Amino acid sequence: MVISAGPILLRKLLRDLWARKTPLAVIIAIVAIGTGSLIMNASIYRDLKFARDDYYREFRLADLSVSLKRAPESAVRLVEQTPGVAEARGRVVLPALLDLPNQSEPITGLVISMPETNEPILNDLLLREGTWFSGPEQAEAILNHRFAEANGFVAGDRIKVLLLDEQHDVLVVGTAMSPEYVYLIPTDGGVAPDPARTGIIYMPIKFLQRSGDLEGAFNQIVARTFDSSPAALDRVLNVIEDRLDAWGVTDATPRRNFPSVSFLDSEIQGIRASTTIMPTIFLGVAMLILNVVIGRMVAQQRSVIGTLKALGKSTTAIALHYLCFGTFAALLGAAGGVVLAYWLQGGMIAMYRQFYKLPNLEARFYPELYVLGVSVCLIAAAVGTIAAARRAASLHPAEAMRPPPPEKGGSIILERIPIFWSRLSFRRRLVLRAIFRNPFRSGVNFFTTLLATALLITTFSMRDSLTYLMEYQFSALSHEDLSVSLREPVGESGSREILSMPSIATVEPQLNVVCDLSNGPFSRRLAISGLPRGNRLSTPLDDLGQPVPIPDEGLVLTDKVARLLDVEVGDSVSLRPLIGERRRVQAPVIAIVKTYIGLSAYADIQYLSRLIGEDYVANSLLATSFGSEGWNLLYNELKKRPGVIGVARRERALEQMEGTMGETQGRVIVILVMFSGLIAFGSVLNTALVSLSEREREVGTFRVLGYTKGEVAAILRGEQIILSVMGTSVGMFAGTGLALLISKAYDTDLFRFPATILPIRYFHAALLMVLFVALAQAVVRVYIHKINWLDALKIKE
Amino acid sequence: MSVTTSQSSVILSVQSAGRVYRMGEVDVPALRDVTLDLQRGELLVIIGPSGSGKSTLLNLIGGMDRPTSGHVRFGEMDLGVISDRELTRYRRFEIGFVFQFYNLVPSLTALENIQVATEMAGDPMDPLEALELVDLVDRADHFPSQLSGGEQQRISIARAIAKRPQILLCDEPTGALDIETGQQILNLLLRLRAELGQTISLITHNASIAHIGDRVATLKDGIVESIEINERPLRPEEVQW
Repeated sequence: MVISAGPILLRKLLRDLWARKTPLAVIIAIVAIGTGSLIMNASIYRDLKFARDDYYREFRLADLSVSLKRAPESAVRLVEQTPGVAEARGRVVLPALLDLPNQSEPITGLVISMPETNEPILNDLLLREGTWFSGPEQAEAILNHRFAEANGFVAGDRIKVLLLDEQHDVLVVGTAMSPEYVYLIPTDGGVAPDPARTGIIYMPIKFLQRSGDLEGAFNQIVARTFDSSPAALDRVLNVIEDRLDAWGVTDATPRRNFPSVSFLDSEIQGIRASTTIMPTIFLGVAMLILNVVIGRMVAQQRSVIGTLKALGKSTTAIALHYLCFGTFAALLGAAGGVVLAYWLQGGMIAMYRQFYKLPNLEARFYPELYVLGVSVCLIAAAVGTIAAARRAASLHPAEAMRPPPPEKGGSIILERIPIFWSRLSFRRRLVLRAIFRNPFRSGVNFFTTLLATALLITTFSMRDSLTYLMEYQFSALSHEDLSVSLREPVGESGSREILSMPSIATVEPQLNVVCDLSNGPFSRRLAISGLPRGNRLSTPLDDLGQPVPIPDEGLVLTDKVARLLDVEVGDSVSLRPLIGERRRVQAPVIAIVKTYIGLSAYADIQYLSRLIGEDYVANSLLATSFGSEGWNLLYNELKKRPGVIGVARRERALEQMEGTMGETQGRVIVILVMFSGLIAFGSVLNTALVSLSEREREVGTFRVLGYTKGEVAAILRGEQIILSVMGTSVGMFAGTGLALLISKAYDTDLFRFPATILPIRYFHAALLMVLFVALAQAVVRVYIHKINWLDALKIKE
Repeated sequence: MSVTTSQSSVILSVQSAGRVYRMGEVDVPALRDVTLDLQRGELLVIIGPSGSGKSTLLNLIGGMDRPTSGHVRFGEMDLGVISDRELTRYRRFEIGFVFQFYNLVPSLTALENIQVATEMAGDPMDPLEALELVDLVDRADHFPSQLSGGEQQRISIARAIAKRPQILLCDEPTGALDIETGQQILNLLLRLRAELGQTISLITHNASIAHIGDRVATLKDGIVESIEINERPLRPEEVQW
């Protein structure tokens, strides 16, 4: 009977695979995660990028915005005529205090003008519910959809909007989304989205011009440019700023610095990075393990290979046969990865929809990414298997059918240190020789446990850094219970007025002035906070966490600002406030302090007041209270004050940050810990099983000499324990280094990430590694029990 | 050497022992019904063709396996009913093994291979002393791959006797060696028995070797076909194969 050899080899392949199903399953899982994360991240990246670009384009998000005190229509024309500008629109943007029917706490809002009819314009709206305004001067509002949703508003509801000094009873006519506010962070600061407290509302232009004391004028111009590259945009922005100087430019921002744009960009960049990092780690680990496992298989099947060759199988067929082991694992892993990616992409996009309001954000299917993912996975598997396949192919049949040469003897390098070596028991020597005589396998075990530990440490560090950052920003730097923002700077009477309100214990004035700071070619626009002498509610801290006294004259810069401006203590910077007299002065840098969120600088409140041509004014009042019982009364008082445009609670900002970022991070941490576990478990299990298969005969010898199963397992696991302990130890350092690198990489104007790792984390990581390695060893123990040690003894060497 | 058969000198007795292996759906009897005593200090050679059950019998005597019927008694101990742990202890303290293929741990030196046995025994020899007994002190730091077959077998014997076992079990100890080396190994076993007084049971399919035994049990198809007493055992160098 003639049987074609192909199916036979296939049958052998399947049986060989089945015989190794447990360790293989772990490799497949690792491959699945590598492939899945590649496809998933690449798909999410495209989904987000597509949805963002589409949204920005369809709804004409402006490339720049310039805020002014008051600009006539001619100023808009001037911007439009600036070279490089495609179109421009003037609008009115006013801070407002919203009094919502179901809440005692006033909400800081931002009212933005829209034309009386719904026509295509820059920073357009996507109407979600209800209708457009019924007339040009109606007290009607379209609410940001997410804000309306969070507060349960629908068209037909009424809200109270305090604009300048008049409270308006406003009818909600609809809800809408805008490309300008994809990520809803409160307009009075903060870094975590808080839709319920982000009162973005749109009202008819005429109504706002009238109630904002801006008849026939605007206080913001938005524009679209032909070339939106950063350099071109900055050039255009400079020209515009110069041209509009007469109308009191208070702010000029390129699109990339719009808060929502900036957050979304950094998120998309992060996903892009994940697209390469996670697959590299997982497919790399799978490749290493495959190399060890298939290498062992070829060694074990030496005589089979010889026989197959003697029977006439070609070298290519043999090589392909062993390549197929890797390919098979890769295919199963890729299949798992495809399912994982398809399934997780939907979940991840659903999560992103909660944070980023993009109308077109959907989990789309990209066949080419699936092809790419599966190809990368197959290539990785082939690379991992090729060495073993080549070894199989190069065996000579006659030689292969004889038993392999006896294991090479010879001493290892450590034996040359007699003082060390002579103290070791034969068990230790056995373990050390096993490690040194299988350098590649030992390397894989060492490296993968190192990687898993480093991943754990960096994961924990993410958590600790965020906790530290929140603690630092919301507890060490600020001590107020609430801060009240004022429309215009006021004198000391403002503080006294707040102090007389219910529940208020102490009040500390603060003056926040947006200024241009520059030093030679380096410049930045940021808000300088003027603090009173003896400041207790806002306390900038130096590197060592010590409060820094505010000098009578000059500036205290945060480290990031100092770096951006390339200045040190003792240097001076050129400073120009964007309000008041807008005089440019030279200000000495007196001290440098540390912050992690945004760009800031500090000065004495009187000094800063003088710079804007005042004596002693404040536009923000920090207060402590006796307790939150009387806060409803307090809120009622505050709502009556037309000068108040915002009330922020420190607690709320902290809770919001913990609630959103903390929760998301919590999930990510659980996943990453499981991933580390899989890497450590999978690698230790596979290397241990390979080691065990090489030493079945030793197991038999030990058992027959009277060693218990436990004693034999203890001798065998020494190899993995030593390598894992070494990998884990070095992994602690590597993880620390990686956390430092990540902290450096996350150094933006918006955010710095302190590299914080609590000492106990090293203990946690060690404990988890012990758990992962112990789990792998428990499985190995099952295999040791299954070994027929009597048979193992009978095999001829 | 004279051999007494009084009850007091029986060190181990096999009583109607059988061993059936279940292979898939069929029962394969490897040993049917064997009754045999091992006398203190004797050299009992068990011969038989392959498949006769001699390895199975050795496994039962050595505490590596349990009978499915009958008993194997060592003193008061019934090896068929004691726990795994006790069976392991029995191997550890009472039995020394010598294999056809030596079964040395390849990554341990000669001396270290002996330490494997001495480290957990109750009253072991100094490993070097064991090496001296097999005349291989100068090979103490050699790995198995650096030793000849005969040398490896001598190390394996040193490992077996180093823990001072009551019974030395040898499974085809000369099977992988040439005649001359094989004779040396047998001589070594006999010399050690004279010096240390161990009981030796040796299995082989080689009938010539049977002539050196005090008694010879012949196994066939899982039963003892005959037990003969050698009135005058030959010296190994008198045996040819």
